Amino acid sequence: MPNPTSTPHPSDPTPPDGLSRRSFLRSSAVVVSGLAALAASLSPLRHLNDFPNVEQFLQKYYKELTPEEMATVLKRIEDEVERQYGLRPHVRDLKPMNGVEFVYALNLTRCIGCRKCVHACVAENNQSRTPEIQYIRVVRLPHGSLDLEKAEHNYNPEMVPEKGYFYMPVQCQQCKNPPCVKVCPVHATWQEADGITVIDYNWCIGCRYCEAACPYWARHFNFTSPSIPKERLNLDMAYLGNRPRRQGVMEKCHFCVQRTRVGRYPACVEVCPVGARKFGNILDPESEVSYILRTKRVFIQLKEELGTSPRFFYYFDV
Amino acid sequence: MRQAVRNYLVFLWRCGRLAFVGDWRYYTWMGVLSVFCLLGLNAYARQFANGLIVTGMSDQVSWGVYIANFTFLVGVAAAAVMMVIPVYIYKNEELHELVIFGELLAVAAILMCLAFVTVDLGRPDRFWHLIPGIGQFNFPASMLSWDVLVLNGYLLLNVHICGYLLYCRYRGRTPAKWFYIPFVFIAIVWAVSIHTVTAFLYVGLGGRPFWNSAIVGPRFLASAFTAGPALIILAMQVVRRVTASAPANDTSLSRGELGTVQRPKSRAAASSDLDLLARHLPELASVPKEARQSILAGATVLEANAGDVLLRQGNTEQRAFFVLKGRVVVKREEGGRFRITRSLGPGEQFGEISALAGTPRTGSAVAEEPALILSLPVDSLRKLMTVPGLKKIIRSRMSERLLITDRALMTLRSIVQVSMLINVFLLANEVFKEFYSGNLHVASSKYLFLGLHGHHALVPWIWTAIGFNLVAMVLLVLPVSRSLKWLNVTCVLCIVGIWIEKGMGLVIPGFIPTPLGELVEYSPSLNETLVCFGIWAFGLLCYTIFLRMAVPILQGRLSKANEAQPEFGVSGVGPQPAVQP
Repeated sequence: MPNPTSTPHPSDPTPPDGLSRRSFLRSSAVVVSGLAALAASLSPLRHLNDFPNVEQFLQKYYKELTPEEMATVLKRIEDEVERQYGLRPHVRDLKPMNGVEFVYALNLTRCIGCRKCVHACVAENNQSRTPEIQYIRVVRLPHGSLDLEKAEHNYNPEMVPEKGYFYMPVQCQQCKNPPCVKVCPVHATWQEADGITVIDYNWCIGCRYCEAACPYWARHFNFTSPSIPKERLNLDMAYLGNRPRRQGVMEKCHFCVQRTRVGRYPACVEVCPVGARKFGNILDPESEVSYILRTKRVFIQLKEELGTSPRFFYYFDV
Repeated sequence: MRQAVRNYLVFLWRCGRLAFVGDWRYYTWMGVLSVFCLLGLNAYARQFANGLIVTGMSDQVSWGVYIANFTFLVGVAAAAVMMVIPVYIYKNEELHELVIFGELLAVAAILMCLAFVTVDLGRPDRFWHLIPGIGQFNFPASMLSWDVLVLNGYLLLNVHICGYLLYCRYRGRTPAKWFYIPFVFIAIVWAVSIHTVTAFLYVGLGGRPFWNSAIVGPRFLASAFTAGPALIILAMQVVRRVTASAPANDTSLSRGELGTVQRPKSRAAASSDLDLLARHLPELASVPKEARQSILAGATVLEANAGDVLLRQGNTEQRAFFVLKGRVVVKREEGGRFRITRSLGPGEQFGEISALAGTPRTGSAVAEEPALILSLPVDSLRKLMTVPGLKKIIRSRMSERLLITDRALMTLRSIVQVSMLINVFLLANEVFKEFYSGNLHVASSKYLFLGLHGHHALVPWIWTAIGFNLVAMVLLVLPVSRSLKWLNVTCVLCIVGIWIEKGMGLVIPGFIPTPLGELVEYSPSLNETLVCFGIWAFGLLCYTIFLRMAVPILQGRLSKANEAQPEFGVSGVGPQPAVQP
């Protein structure tokens, strides 16, 4: 329906069927300067050092990888580590052993708060030194109270233990009912048959919901690319364990899967100078942890009321 | 089929072109927003390269203002239903115009929500792990997977509803009820669900006693229904201001010069005039001869010249009008200015609402060009509405008017009022439970409201929020907020107060102290703040573009009928139509 009042006036310099040269030049200038501004605003991406290549981008979920694909992925990870650190690691995909469920028991009467476990863990598990990521947090509590609101995290005396205090190391409690697994939107973290909750670092999207959900502050995030001195790199690695992580993913204590799934103790157990840390297979009635849980009159699970049912027990010499 | 696709593409093309034209105010506004978008993009590029270390977040406080903004905006999106419910369930006609604006706001808010969660991800390159069927979707266990579904679903619902209604309006068709009403009702339930699910993200965490409270869900809804409509009240006044065309001293319309205005010539209507109308309203052709005679009783045809006033705002005369030929604009006087509310072509009607209701005219109609207008007494209109098919058309057109009335804003005000009262009440409940029982879990609340062990970064924030909310509540209860000036102040207080209460006052303290009792504070970094500003600018940019397209369609100035004409806005005139002498 032509509308007489809206048709262009005959003297209108703009031809009705196209753009005038001036308006074409003007809109080109706008488009070009817009693109230039866009490019300038994206310039920080030149310093991007952790952009996935096609293989990394398309890598399948851990549980969907065939053994052949897994072998390719493991080799690729070894190549990546070698390229970055100049050392060739041995990366394995270790599966849970049959008839094994790991349990941890920690003797609060014995712990002296020396934090040797914290540092042994960092060294064993290739944790970032700057920024610092630690899986174990040892807190100092006043005599007689388990109220974590009273916990001192940064205690730093000349000598431990101190009078009037006791020490409680906290790490992943390997819950039977883990809130972190429940909340993960992409199944990037799950509980394995031996009770260890693991993370597929190549699948995690870094939403940090698990970090909010964990009642034990056991999950830690790589806020930037982790940095590990080359000479400190532990070359004995596992896919679900201590292989170097990438920027933007979660990590946590995994009971040293690279050790425990081949029959060794976790690093924290080995290093403890007072024998406060006990680790073993609860399904084996002869194991040390089975003996402890059978014979100790009092042992506790941290925040038992939350129903997370930890596989980590604190006990006392009574 | 190909024709339908072509029509739709032309529609999108014409809408898209509109986004790039406007007056200097429009260009300035869009330019400023674009600059903020680019600053935000630049900040995000820095974060993408270096990781979230450039934010103020830490392992202790692992969510910050990104998730705080996300939470707030989910509420804004959910609040769109507060326009929809009165219209579709209680048949409130005043709010009808606002439904589309509310839903467009919901769309913009959801886009911002999606942007905020994306920038919060450590590995945004792995977003595809979240796509159901392609990635690994932990549904229904993870509340975050619910959120992915409900937010994207809500986005699609709203895009469908507004897109469909606007396209129908553009085509001059009556929307098919079955194609949108069911979605409207789904969207109502859905809106409640998006905010409940977002609340459950927090409520479901047993290890965070500050969040692990059943009242968080209702609190989220109450605060959303306060802040959302408050935002719409402000946005609608901006729309009203921007679409205002001529100052009220427009000589042809001012009341003082009533006498000098030319009245159009009129003659008695004949059956041939109904034939003319039937060309545009085919349903009319089936009307038998006797019925035509009774419809034509008392009917006249006005032969108007450009500029003739056909009906005048404030008058009461029970006549309705149909355009037979030419174009007519309807203008409303508001706050001393005239705003074009509609532009009508052949076959379209005006004046029928006040004719049927016997109320004063809500606007004045002026012939834009030489026009033929059929003027019917209200009895004839009622007879016309007994014709099968016509009643539906007339009624549906009645409800498609772009009228942002003060009464509609006042309806929104009562929603804000009630919601704010409930919100403050629920907050008081939470505070009582936390402090009176005095158990060990009060640490986060103590930190928030009073400070804990010498740490009190959030104390000024929360008391500002409480102060704003209380002042807003008092203003809302007092009659003073019936004046738009005070209502606007109140709305700003509501929005800021609730933004703080839900963001800095709910998301952040949940992390302080940590589950192991460590006290680490949080404040957003500059980079993080720039990203937030960028996303807000992006959202406002989207909303502006949506309105830029929707307003002319609702006014009838952008329609299939005028497809062949040069775009009204493209000549650089801005939001006003190019009315030529």
